[in-house]
Amino acid sequence: MPDPFPVPGDPAPGSSPGEPGRWLAAAAANRPLSWNLTRHARRLVTLALAGLGIAIATGRPEFAAAAAPAVLLLATWHRPRPGQIGLAARLTAARMIEGERSAVELSVSGAAEHSVQVVLQPAHAITPLPGPAARPGRPAISVPFLATRWGRRRVGSAQVILRDRWRLAEGSTGLSLPRVDCYPRPATQRTRVVLSRLPTRLGEHTARAAGEGAEFGGVREYVPGDRQRSINWPATTRRGRLQVNTFQAERSQDVVILVDTAWENADPTRSVVDIGLRGAAAAAQAYLNARDRVGFITYRYRARWLVPGLGQRQYYRIAEAMLAQDRDWTSDTGFSRLPRVALPPGALILVFTPLMDPRLVETLRDLRQRGFPVLVIDVLAGEPPVGRGRYARLAQRMWRMEQQAIRFSLRELGIPVTHWDGEQSLDLSLAPYTRRVMVTRR
Amino acid sequence: MSTGWPEPQPGWRAGWRLLWRHSVIRLAVLAGLLGAGCVAWAATPAILAGPAAGAAPLVTALAAVCVAGGAGQLAVARAAPPGPGSYPGVLGRLAAWALLRLRQLPWAEGTVLSALALELLHPARPWHTAVLGAALTGYLLATHLAESTTAPGEASAVLRGQAPVLAAGLGLLVLAAGSAALPAAGSGAAGAWLRAAAAVAAVLACGLALPV
Repeated sequence: MPDPFPVPGDPAPGSSPGEPGRWLAAAAANRPLSWNLTRHARRLVTLALAGLGIAIATGRPEFAAAAAPAVLLLATWHRPRPGQIGLAARLTAARMIEGERSAVELSVSGAAEHSVQVVLQPAHAITPLPGPAARPGRPAISVPFLATRWGRRRVGSAQVILRDRWRLAEGSTGLSLPRVDCYPRPATQRTRVVLSRLPTRLGEHTARAAGEGAEFGGVREYVPGDRQRSINWPATTRRGRLQVNTFQAERSQDVVILVDTAWENADPTRSVVDIGLRGAAAAAQAYLNARDRVGFITYRYRARWLVPGLGQRQYYRIAEAMLAQDRDWTSDTGFSRLPRVALPPGALILVFTPLMDPRLVETLRDLRQRGFPVLVIDVLAGEPPVGRGRYARLAQRMWRMEQQAIRFSLRELGIPVTHWDGEQSLDLSLAPYTRRVMVTRR
Repeated sequence: MSTGWPEPQPGWRAGWRLLWRHSVIRLAVLAGLLGAGCVAWAATPAILAGPAAGAAPLVTALAAVCVAGGAGQLAVARAAPPGPGSYPGVLGRLAAWALLRLRQLPWAEGTVLSALALELLHPARPWHTAVLGAALTGYLLATHLAESTTAPGEASAVLRGQAPVLAAGLGLLVLAAGSAALPAAGSGAAGAWLRAAAAVAAVLACGLALPV
């Protein structure tokens, strides 16, 4: 699959596993081990030295007796230990959705009779999970983990600890783990907004025009050329003349999903970018399941887009585009008018935005003036914190009034705005627009 | 018939049973009890001596602190520190720092040294010191297993592997304590020192000659 948003300096897909390519899902290396005394050995040394020292210093041989078990345990120190081990790590799933589990399969070779413990040092948004313990002789150790937030990132690093049979020495080494692609978890959306005017392309939405669909349209008199199987016999009997059933056409539509990722909430637990991307993933899934063509635009000081496409492949291209949107951005103030190539004529434009950027608001106005039906899903979560100053309450009221004014002006232009908090189903927020077709006016 | 006492909730009991099934928790409890037992065993004769005890109460308090610290260390051994991307507040950061310190301090070594110092404060009784030595070895083993065991059954496998050496060590402990209990060959400080040096040499020789 080609990279929809290639970034300069990023190795091409399909690069060999040894180099830091995008699709690196496995890592292997020979690692030198650094051996040290364990804490257990240090404690035994303390007991042995203290017991023997007190015995010598005070002339009380019973303290030497107290140190005897520790001395004998320490006497097992002289054992051959490997200088290096072979490590190979691979992910059971290199692509996942937020909240899904995956695991690192770590193969250790050259450990001989030493017990192996793997400690996962997780990267941001990776949570290690308790997994099966390593057993001597088992070829691979599985370290499960959970990805808690979308993004393209390394899983972290694995610290491999070898212990001898007597637990006196431990050798440790580390391995950088492969990268995982974690897609945003789609919200729940089962219903779809359907336009009143649909392009003449076969699909699953019932159009107003008569056609060969499955939805019953009405009954009319038979004309030569009508199919015999469409004759409505009860109506024919009542009226005394041949009557045929008519059906409505089934068409598909073009949908363009625009996600505003330029603004972020100060509270990282209520990210508006996360809400927007989860909503966009749900919408993309819902419309692609209905065989609609879906395009995708991300807005962050400048626009990047995917031209509309069909099918599961398009869904994954959109998901890849979502992951690509968080890297290497430059401040570009040239965004004001979306290009024609990204917007098929008559396409429904769904916009997930907190409506904080005035330039995006201007772009929405421009889209409406160009005749596109636009539906804004407001994902603003929370308000700016109220200060302690004398005019803090006043500033908060002004901020609220400004937000209300933006929404009011959009509604006046014929752009419906609906709020979605990211928690409940997207169907609830879209219910006023999914119950009937959305009439498009120029 | 009601006994007048509140009946324990089944969920509460089930929770405790579930916790107790974890060998790590059993080992941690065992380590705490052994540590406390060692300190009590070493401190009792000195404390019972009354005003002549000298520094014994102070050392006992120090040892008790070490045992409590070691127990706390085992209790938080599995607590995960805030990872990258976590945003703990001031209290959270302070707690993480305290957890790190608690884990790094040598509590078990402190317990061992305090118990031996307490044992040193009262008159020589070889059997008493031998019991303390065996208990301290058990305490160190239990502490180590509680903080490093990752799977059920691992602790018993480790102990099974070390059983011959532990048995040899305990045998040597009994022999050395027995030799210390024998009537002195010579009188005075020189004779006692000679016996102690002989015992140390015997222990070290056994350690070096161990065919492992």
